Amino acid sequence: MGFLAPWFLIGAAAAALPVYLHLLRRHSTTPHPFSSLMFFEQRTQSSIRHRRLRYLLLLSFRLAVLVLLALAFANPYIRRTVASSAERRMLLVIDNSFSMRAGSRLSDAKREAISVLNSRNPAERAQIAALGSELHLLTQPIQDSAALRAAIDSIESGDSRGGFGELARAARSIQETSHAPIELHFFSDMQKSDMPASFAEMALPPHVSLILHSVAKDTQPNWAVESVEAPSQVWDPKKAHVAAVIAGYHTPAAARTASLVVNGKTIDSHKVDVPAGGRATVAFLSLNVPYGWSRCEVRIDSADSLAADDTYFFAVERSDPELVLFVHESADSRSPVYFGSALASAAEASFILDSVPAERVSSTVLSKYAFVVLSDVISLPAQFESDLLRYVRGGGSVLIAAGTSAAHRTRIPVLDDNVIEAHDYARNGERFATVGETDSSHPSMQSSEGWAGVKFYYAVAVDPSSSRVIARLTDQTPLLLDKKIGEGHSLLFASGLDDLTNDFPVQPVFVPFVRQVARYLSGTEEQKGSRRVDSFLELRSTKDEAVSVEVIDPAGRRPLSLKEAASTQSLQLTSAGFYGVRLANGRQDLVGVNVDRRESDLQPMLEDVLALWSGKGSPDSPSQANLGEHQDQERPQSLWWYAMVLVLVAALGESLLAARYLATPAEKS
Amino acid sequence: MQRFLDPVVLAEISSLDLIARTVVDGFVAGLHRSPDFGFSQEFAEYRAYSPGDDLRHVDWNVFARTERAYLKRYRGETNSLLTVLLDASNSMNYASGKVSKMDYARFTAACLFYLAIHNQRDAAGLIVFDDEVRNYIRPSTRQGQINRLLHGLELAEPRARTDFAKPLDHFQQFLRRRGLVLILSDFYEAPDKVIRTIEPLRFHGNEVVLFHVLDPKELRPELTGPAILFDLETDFRMEVTPEYASDEYPQRIQKHIAALRDRARSARMDYCLLVTDRPLDAALRQYLTIRQGRN
Repeated sequence: MGFLAPWFLIGAAAAALPVYLHLLRRHSTTPHPFSSLMFFEQRTQSSIRHRRLRYLLLLSFRLAVLVLLALAFANPYIRRTVASSAERRMLLVIDNSFSMRAGSRLSDAKREAISVLNSRNPAERAQIAALGSELHLLTQPIQDSAALRAAIDSIESGDSRGGFGELARAARSIQETSHAPIELHFFSDMQKSDMPASFAEMALPPHVSLILHSVAKDTQPNWAVESVEAPSQVWDPKKAHVAAVIAGYHTPAAARTASLVVNGKTIDSHKVDVPAGGRATVAFLSLNVPYGWSRCEVRIDSADSLAADDTYFFAVERSDPELVLFVHESADSRSPVYFGSALASAAEASFILDSVPAERVSSTVLSKYAFVVLSDVISLPAQFESDLLRYVRGGGSVLIAAGTSAAHRTRIPVLDDNVIEAHDYARNGERFATVGETDSSHPSMQSSEGWAGVKFYYAVAVDPSSSRVIARLTDQTPLLLDKKIGEGHSLLFASGLDDLTNDFPVQPVFVPFVRQVARYLSGTEEQKGSRRVDSFLELRSTKDEAVSVEVIDPAGRRPLSLKEAASTQSLQLTSAGFYGVRLANGRQDLVGVNVDRRESDLQPMLEDVLALWSGKGSPDSPSQANLGEHQDQERPQSLWWYAMVLVLVAALGESLLAARYLATPAEKS
Repeated sequence: MQRFLDPVVLAEISSLDLIARTVVDGFVAGLHRSPDFGFSQEFAEYRAYSPGDDLRHVDWNVFARTERAYLKRYRGETNSLLTVLLDASNSMNYASGKVSKMDYARFTAACLFYLAIHNQRDAAGLIVFDDEVRNYIRPSTRQGQINRLLHGLELAEPRARTDFAKPLDHFQQFLRRRGLVLILSDFYEAPDKVIRTIEPLRFHGNEVVLFHVLDPKELRPELTGPAILFDLETDFRMEVTPEYASDEYPQRIQKHIAALRDRARSARMDYCLLVTDRPLDAALRQYLTIRQGRN
């Protein structure tokens, strides 16, 4: 038995404290004179002696607490023979990240894993796992070689990005649960880009010995379509542009052919000169896609071992311009002009404003509109208001501008929020109010420059408790509020859209605001044509709606069961390709999913880094060559945990005894 | 006046004489009368002359007016013999407050002497004892007796142990006349042994009063925790628990007091418990009561 931190044993000297206290307590009892002790019997003294014995027990508990505490800090250990082969566990981890698709890396890794498996002691238990973005355990620790080989054979190449930090984290977790030594064999291309930001995250626990099996001998050149910029919605194909970045990793300068493929047909193609180890951009000036969703790809001619990253997937939806219903008072001719002009000037959006006075809106069918704007409406037909609420709950959106008309009502339609008060800044000394704070994380506020210059002469204060406040005036009056109603959204603008209650419509910030609001309310900002593997796709926004969603992965399979389809909030995109999605709100989406392009850089880790990771870089650590010898040697096993348990027991005993014997006796009358 | 009987107040006074005078003058009311008729100054009654009577006692004034011979009779005064036995053992040195048992016993004895000599004109004497007689002042009515007695009290400092046997032997040697014997002690001895030792005094015709002097903390000790107590006489040490001191000890001391009282009464002695936090009048009242009983 030894101590890992023997200096802490000095703390055992603290045991002198209770001894001193007990002695002091005993001797500090000054004898008191008394006339005669003839009425004190001998049995009284006997009782005191008995109590002394109990006090000695208390003293021993106190001594034990201090000594054991010092012992625990000194970290005692005993040398114990390392677990035998039967107790030891062999963990074979095969990297199946995207980069393992290059050449024959995955098959090489599997072959080598089987070779290691065959050479092990038959009594030794082994476990198979695959490492992508996370570690997937494929078997339990078993001795059945056939089952283990079958598990290795079942490993397929994936599209995830590997993470060596995740391997270390999983190894720590396994070691903590099993407490048995683990011999970790890792079969990988040791891609440098799979390293975490900090090397410390790759550190393995002490009883895990890492044996690396690298299947990539050198850095291989690789070209890839790194990124594509393309609109997710197209209204005019002639105005749509596609720009792609072609990257070369450790490649010589070469000319590559980039092609734009729509629904399997190549519609455009360009030659691009990619510099050595650099990037080049290729532009396609038109995106002629048919109506509806189209599966678009940018491809380069394959000339390397990793062909899967030569294609970049993205989805584009072509549709007609969408209608926007703009409801206003018949006397209000300003707000339709301002809002319509701003909406028309938005280059990417394509909306047609349908301006309808409030008194003629009752027969309007709302389902054909992308969203609805209520501009300072004093009253709405009850039927329309009911239809509008149903429209919003079903996934539609509405923008409500509460100008001076709010003074005529106590509540905001659709939102059902109460009007607290109306601020008429023009009539008091302030003259106007400006925007004090904005929430730039909201989609409608992504470009919030210029808001400070807008003057608000009139604003309505509503209760913001059930809404998200996006902007506030300087007097903390909520200016823009977002409230989720069912599947839809409603934005409340606490002033008017004319230039009477503010000068917002004539300020430069008005046009981008209208564009962002239109994209947000119409839902087009949610449609991202391409995503990365391992990202999550939101399938529904509320849990209470038990509407099934439908997902079809790139292989044509449905990854969700019926139960999951009715309740799952989001889906992790695990494969590259196109995912067809029918969301809970009924919208049909097509999502192009691409591999994280950091996987395209096939440069392996440096040898010294690998040696450091596997423990061969440190002179104290056992090397792989003599690992077998070390396996049968004795290793220290720490006993501090047991010492702490004993400390707890002694402390409990001390507390009980002290409470029982040292409590102040109650005064008797 | 009660304030001047408070032992704590008296403890502030250094002179025993002043203490005795203060207490007695504030307490005493009247002298006792002798049941025997004598020929002193105080007229009692007339009696018809009978042959043989001393003609010196015939009231000739009455004879001149009535021509009958009457004898004048006067109330005769008797003098008692008061002897105080003061226990000066170490246990009397115990004090839980300002007044020790020894101080209290001194105050009591001084007051009794003052009362006896100045008010009763009794002969008073003192025996100070512990395990032997340490001081003996013969009972007397001589001039200056009170000063001798008070000086004897001041010299009485507690030491050694209590032993009743030796002083009583001396007492029996010195006292031939009957009288009143007051014993001031804490009586830390078995009641049977105490009474058996004192009983011969009673056989000689003495009135015996046991003044049992105890400190209030001796009746009910107060301990906040286990404590070591040592015996003032034997220096024996013993650890005592507060439970015992508050539960069993009071019962035992009360049992001892009751036994001593019963045994004293059965031996036709008087018993009086004096607690040092109470005024001194209890002892004086007891003394006067006994004196009246004697007369």
